[in-house]
Amino acid sequence: MRRPLTAVVLRPALATLALGSAGVLYGFPLYWLFVTSLKSKAELFATTVHLVPHNPTFAAYSSVLFERGFWVLLKNSVIVCFSTVVVTLVVGMLITYPITRLPVPARLRVGILNWALSLRFLPPIAVVIPYFAIVRTVQIYDQPIALIGIYSLFNLPFAIWMLKGFLTEIPLELEDAALVDGATRWVAFWRVLLPLAAPGVMAAGIIIFTFAWSEFLFALILTATPNAQTFPVGVQGLVTQFEIIWNDMAASGVIAMALPLILMVIGRKYIVAGLTFGVIREK
Amino acid sequence: MIRAWRRLSRDERLAYLILLPALGAVFVVVTIPFVLVIIQSLSTEDGTFVGSVNYSRALGNPLLYEAIRATGVYTLIVLPIEILLGLGFALLVHRTVRRPGLRASIYVLAILPLVVPPVAIGVVARLIYAPGYGVLNVILDRIGIAHQEINWLGDPTLAMLAVASVDVWQWTPFVYLVLFSGLQTVPRESVEAAQIDGASGWAQFRYIDLHYLRPLFVLIIFFRLADVLRVFDHVFILTGGGPGTATQLLSLYMYRVEFKFFDTGQAAALAVVVLVSFSLLYTLIARVLPLERA
Repeated sequence: MRRPLTAVVLRPALATLALGSAGVLYGFPLYWLFVTSLKSKAELFATTVHLVPHNPTFAAYSSVLFERGFWVLLKNSVIVCFSTVVVTLVVGMLITYPITRLPVPARLRVGILNWALSLRFLPPIAVVIPYFAIVRTVQIYDQPIALIGIYSLFNLPFAIWMLKGFLTEIPLELEDAALVDGATRWVAFWRVLLPLAAPGVMAAGIIIFTFAWSEFLFALILTATPNAQTFPVGVQGLVTQFEIIWNDMAASGVIAMALPLILMVIGRKYIVAGLTFGVIREK
Repeated sequence: MIRAWRRLSRDERLAYLILLPALGAVFVVVTIPFVLVIIQSLSTEDGTFVGSVNYSRALGNPLLYEAIRATGVYTLIVLPIEILLGLGFALLVHRTVRRPGLRASIYVLAILPLVVPPVAIGVVARLIYAPGYGVLNVILDRIGIAHQEINWLGDPTLAMLAVASVDVWQWTPFVYLVLFSGLQTVPRESVEAAQIDGASGWAQFRYIDLHYLRPLFVLIIFFRLADVLRVFDHVFILTGGGPGTATQLLSLYMYRVEFKFFDTGQAAALAVVVLVSFSLLYTLIARVLPLERA
């Protein structure tokens, strides 16, 4: 059977064209961000905009991190994100373990999962208004703990659904075997289940970390000083200034992107599963 | 009560001993803000009860309807474009790209935008659209399309398109990834049978692929809608809601009422209205979601 001309010539050409333009549309903005971050102040004031920097320099990075002191915000971000991961995974596991490994009524399990799903639809701006009042009353305004609490709550739905997916894949018989041999529930969990679930738990942790890393609205509202401000708040401060320093702003953008991109390389197999609550599995 | 507890097996008791405190704690943490926001919405700043005054102020404010309109326009631009582009790319790659290495690289490149902080993407957009340094005008000038500087962020329509383009840039890959992996579940035999029968590419899509993708569209709409309705970050960075109120989406509007006008009563009333309408929307969509709940 002869294949029609369209299939032989037209389709591959169309595919190349489409993928090529997508490549440009995604590559160029990121190129422009990076290139701008390498420009010197003098070059930014040149009358024509240079598409390629003439004297690339890392001055903007040291200006952002040290002269402006943003490394403190970076440190805050790491502390907040790491604590969020720990709290979310522990609470997520406390909820997921009983409903996947222990005999609970199906209605309870479905109810918990539905409730977690509904939290995914919760609009942060509606929650932050009362949360702001609470934070000020209990005097944790401008402290990392205020962010850790609310980030953990908003990431819990992901954690529950992802952990549920990973735990149900591990056969119950493996734990039962340990229990028959006289191990306690705790030992069976710690020595048998957790090592088997470790890759999934790690992946969930990485995804929660990147979500918390990106978060901006709560950080903007609940922090005021470098005591608790996270990196995205610092980036925002550079953007809305009266006179924008383009290279510093671009450098801060590059720094904000770097860590999630590195983590993404490790967690790439699971990111779509996480975003779709485990519906889409990468083989 | 105690008798019922005794009748449970050891494992069942353990399940409740773990679940009760964990769920109880989360339930309290979730419920306190809900209760508080209702109280806030019914009282003034100093806590005196004023009934529905805040609600009538919130619902009588024309800015609210501008914000709802802007959010609607944004959603109606962004969702169809993302779904159509994502579907187009998924079909294209599925049918023409055979090399596993290339498929894997496209996968990695497609998840890249999903993990980038929206604030950073707002910065990128600023470097593209902003007057003065924005590279889009530079490029349009160099290739000779427009020699006058176009004020992308100063015109209401262009600003809305600019803000929407950022969303499309970041989230089309998500739609692509979901639909592409959906296409991998289409059984090869039915496609081959259709091809032998001489079915066109369109017929293959219409009668075979679409059948497998349909539940995924619901899924995409659910997750995209949850995010689109809460969009804040990149709009705040790129336009701050302007020019005027052209890109002042619902979240930006509520942010302004609470943290720029310091009108907590009105903001809380808005929050309650938003929470109620979002729960209604949620119950409508969640029913048809193809999630494994077992």
